[in-house]
Amino acid sequence: MSEVARYTRRMVLGTGLAMAATVALGGIAFAADTVKLGVSIPAATHGFTGGIVWWANQAKAELEKAHPNLKITVKTASGAPEQANQLQDLVTVTKIDSLVIFPFESAALTQPVMQAKKKNVYVTVVDRGLTDTSAQDAYIAGDNTAFGRIPAEYIAKKYNGKANIVALRGIPTTLDNERWEAFTGVLKQYPDIKILDGKYANWNRDDAFKVTQDFLTRFKDIDVVWAADDDMAFGVLKAIEQAKRTDIKEVFGGAGSKTMVKTILDGSNPLIRADVSYSPKFIYDAIKMTAEARLKGDKLPATYIIPSALITKENAKEFYFPDSPY
Amino acid sequence: MPSAPTPATEVRNDRAEPRKNGRRFDPHRFGPVVGLLLLLIVGTALNPDFATWDNLMNVLTRTAFIGIISIGMCFVIISGGIDLSVGSMAALIAGGMILLMNALAGSVGSPVAVVMLGMLFALLLGGGFGLAHGYLITRGRIEPFIVTLGTLGIFRAVLTWLADGGAITLDNDLSDAYGPVYYGSLLGIPVPVWVFLAVSVAGAVLLNRTAFGRYVQAIGSNEQVARFAAVDVDRVKLLTYGLLGVCVGVATVLYVPRLGSASPTTGLLWELEAIAAVIVGGTSFKGGEGRIAGTVIGAVLLSVISNILNLTSIISVYLNAAVQGCVIIAVAFLQRRRP
Amino acid sequence: MSLHVAFDGITKEFGPVRVLHGVGFDLHPGRVHGLLGENGAGKSTLMKILAGYHAPTSGTLGIDGEPVTFRNSRDAEKRGIVLIHQELSLADDLTVAQNMFLGHEIKRGWLLDDRAMREQATAALRQVGFERDPDTKVRDLIVAEKQLVEIAKAQLRNARLLIMDEPTASLTPSECDRLFGLIDRLRRDGVTIVYISHKLDEVERITDEVIVMRDGRFVARAPTAETPRQRMAELMVGRELTDMFPDKHIPALGKPLMTVRGLTVPGWAEDVSFDLHPGEILGFAGLVGAGRTELFEGILGLRPRSGGTVEIEGRPVALRSPREAMRNGLTYLSEDRKGKGLHVNMGLRDNLTLMTLRHHAQPLLSPASEERALEHAVTSFGIRGNPQGTASSLSGGNQQKLAIAKFLEPDPRVFVLDEPTRGVDVGAKRDIYFLIARLAAEGRGVIVISSELIELIGLCHRVIVMRGRRVTATVPADRLSEEELIAHAIGTHTRH
Repeated sequence: MSEVARYTRRMVLGTGLAMAATVALGGIAFAADTVKLGVSIPAATHGFTGGIVWWANQAKAELEKAHPNLKITVKTASGAPEQANQLQDLVTVTKIDSLVIFPFESAALTQPVMQAKKKNVYVTVVDRGLTDTSAQDAYIAGDNTAFGRIPAEYIAKKYNGKANIVALRGIPTTLDNERWEAFTGVLKQYPDIKILDGKYANWNRDDAFKVTQDFLTRFKDIDVVWAADDDMAFGVLKAIEQAKRTDIKEVFGGAGSKTMVKTILDGSNPLIRADVSYSPKFIYDAIKMTAEARLKGDKLPATYIIPSALITKENAKEFYFPDSPY
Repeated sequence: MPSAPTPATEVRNDRAEPRKNGRRFDPHRFGPVVGLLLLLIVGTALNPDFATWDNLMNVLTRTAFIGIISIGMCFVIISGGIDLSVGSMAALIAGGMILLMNALAGSVGSPVAVVMLGMLFALLLGGGFGLAHGYLITRGRIEPFIVTLGTLGIFRAVLTWLADGGAITLDNDLSDAYGPVYYGSLLGIPVPVWVFLAVSVAGAVLLNRTAFGRYVQAIGSNEQVARFAAVDVDRVKLLTYGLLGVCVGVATVLYVPRLGSASPTTGLLWELEAIAAVIVGGTSFKGGEGRIAGTVIGAVLLSVISNILNLTSIISVYLNAAVQGCVIIAVAFLQRRRP
Repeated sequence: MSLHVAFDGITKEFGPVRVLHGVGFDLHPGRVHGLLGENGAGKSTLMKILAGYHAPTSGTLGIDGEPVTFRNSRDAEKRGIVLIHQELSLADDLTVAQNMFLGHEIKRGWLLDDRAMREQATAALRQVGFERDPDTKVRDLIVAEKQLVEIAKAQLRNARLLIMDEPTASLTPSECDRLFGLIDRLRRDGVTIVYISHKLDEVERITDEVIVMRDGRFVARAPTAETPRQRMAELMVGRELTDMFPDKHIPALGKPLMTVRGLTVPGWAEDVSFDLHPGEILGFAGLVGAGRTELFEGILGLRPRSGGTVEIEGRPVALRSPREAMRNGLTYLSEDRKGKGLHVNMGLRDNLTLMTLRHHAQPLLSPASEERALEHAVTSFGIRGNPQGTASSLSGGNQQKLAIAKFLEPDPRVFVLDEPTRGVDVGAKRDIYFLIARLAAEGRGVIVISSELIELIGLCHRVIVMRGRRVTATVPADRLSEEELIAHAIGTHTRH
């Protein structure tokens, strides 16, 4: 009997010590021994989502190495329904206690995320806010308004409020609309800047090539093409090259992909002089912030916007990650 | 030749035989042509730039990939099959070809030689994929829909994996050597248009003037009858899928120099465009009957629609797909078969 | 209960072609009418008008004294008129019971009442002598059984007028007997019956009167009892009918052209042996299901064989496909003309040359060369119809001549014809018999599989009888008679 008693006493002592330590750290929540973090993101179907997947796995590798008591599970989905199913699996099978999710669609995933939160999962939503914000603990996003505003301001300034612009759009979504409205909103103040037309090219190089070809046929005098995405800018450049047009002075992409930043850095293409950052790295930041906060027992701020910045030759170095696929 | 008996009866029956389905002039055959002509008129009326040589060449050049795939697809559909994987297959061939050329660039001196090897590899890979489909369908006795739905996923996933989710990009000096295959012209006509034309003519001859083409039609019309008529059904089917694979290879060879890259979005939904071109062109989805010329017109028609939409702003961009849908249905209506 | 039909000046045009020229006659209630005519005479078109599948171009259709217009076959069915199609119109993948109630399902609320349908189906099927489970898929039935299902289905609809188009084409003698019993009972119940058949002995046996059509016109009607078969045939063909069959020139038996020993096709034929000599016409008799067709499909390699040997011209062969068979000098024309014999939607030329395209390729196909082959076939086989049309535009007899021409293109040494005169009119039948005799005279071996005993007796030099997968007898020409063949085909037991 005495052995049992001794053992019990030691356990009580131990628990007390642990509690004291937690209190000493000052949190009301107490630090978990292990954190099981689930990451749910779109599958790589585009340069940008490819970057998301790469940065998520990068975060997993680095953070799991640094924190042995952290377990990160990364799941990719190719549609909203699949993502909702994966969410269920993460909660019931993997038994995660924290979640970082990049939702396919805001509305469709609000309820599934809510279900996870009800099971005491700490939820960080990335990029696209849910329709009911009570389903999320934290929201980390890139700045879509700035994504449209910055190029508009850049163009207005550089061309002294006078330019002909054609624009490409992505896929009809709220995301795309926010960018488009910010872009056109700024340019409304400049009566001599004309947006000749804007067509969807689905964030796809081939579609961007075709739409640009047709723009070039249709408009004989274009100063700037707002490609609104670095992948699409790639197709735009090829179409301009083929048509041998000299009137176009600049192509403005978006998101700050590796090749685009490198081009700016090297000054290797006179049409590419600036870009706006909207790096898929924010998924890395979100995972890191969430994991570290959970390990410490901290909370994240309710909303954290990762600022978008104008990339030019001067600051391009800061945005260049040679290892990332994007 | 066996001889036949002298007709048993002197009383020759001179009654009129019912002549259904005779090969008389059939206005429905010309549905796609009529549709295309109408679109050309509409396009010219909306924007005079539409009817320029450069724009027409732009449209024909970008049609070339889908068009060449459609011609291979035409054979598969006539034989009663289907291939859903062509878009993914093109993406994977493009990716594999770029990786090979980049790897060879170090060891093989001349960029032109590297590009030639890359092209050869693309054709072989396409043919190999096609034959693998055919083999699974004929020997494996699996429905073509399922086989190619499976490979649709496999091809694209392998490419995405090879590209780490991003893009596979061709080295710059290779890109310069390869560029003329897409951007170059001969007698003012871009190279892809010439290739498209050559593949079309070859396809039409193969379908209408060779035993293979006749067997393809016979199998699609009624596989049992063809089998009883001593047609090697499995071999002919195998070859139709191989042929389509080679067509995808040719299309990819023309596609790669355009952007010099392959990404997970490469060739997305090409299968639907190719199938639509074939059906809009008057080939029966049930098989048995089809036309290469119609398929070519169908493919051109589909790209002309989006070209016109890009050249005008009279319709909200949100409705682009609806316009395309309406035109496709209208053309299908013009060339419908009577029951 | 019964109904009276009057056709008055019915014409029908398909495009520019007039197929009915002002046909007028009556159908009397409660009688069995034999409707006779060669293929293309307009019988089927007229009956399709009666059953609501076609509308007449002009003229009136009167039912019980009032003119009617049917928009579709359902309208006709509501008046109790049901057509049983020559090409059986059953959905292969549905069960017997589901087929019988297709479009007329019994429902309980929103749901199908499967039990009620199965019970009613079983009752109706038993009346026609169909003994199998109504849950059997139609795909698994033999043709004769499908026929019975069609008739049972019509009975379920309370048919007051039943049109039967070649109902016995694939029935065995005992099944025919049961059908005739059924027709008798229906007649006593007051049902009017139109019976279309090429088998004049049946017409003579069960009809009350015969109506003859020719070239889209009404020709004659007469009580059956006063019209001998010879007269019926003459009315149909419109000329004096001389001998139907060519003279037999039985060859001296030398070295066999084809030798089959101990051949087994599991489930269909067991331990079959026979010889075929040059110049010989060898018949195969037996009931439907005796394994004759399947035996030859086994020889062709379309069904697995588990034993036995085949020699053609002294060379042992193990054929794996019709292609190999053709290369070894054997071609086979199936009984299923539309399913296995001809591409009905393709042109005459494409059908004819399909087996021998290599002869027309240099290396591209030469349409002129193919056209010559077609011209030759059209003249030498007497194929009548539009040579530029599709095979489906030909009448049954001309389709069959085209099919024979097609399978003779590779110039086979052994030619197997399965039911060569099914659905073929009297004139074309005679042409085909003389053609077969000619092929034999050229030194080929010809095998004729047939359910028409008259045909086997009139044409063949020797007849092999099969029963229950085995050869039960080989009957030489001098002993051929209906009684002899039936005895061997049925054996001492009936089929049940």
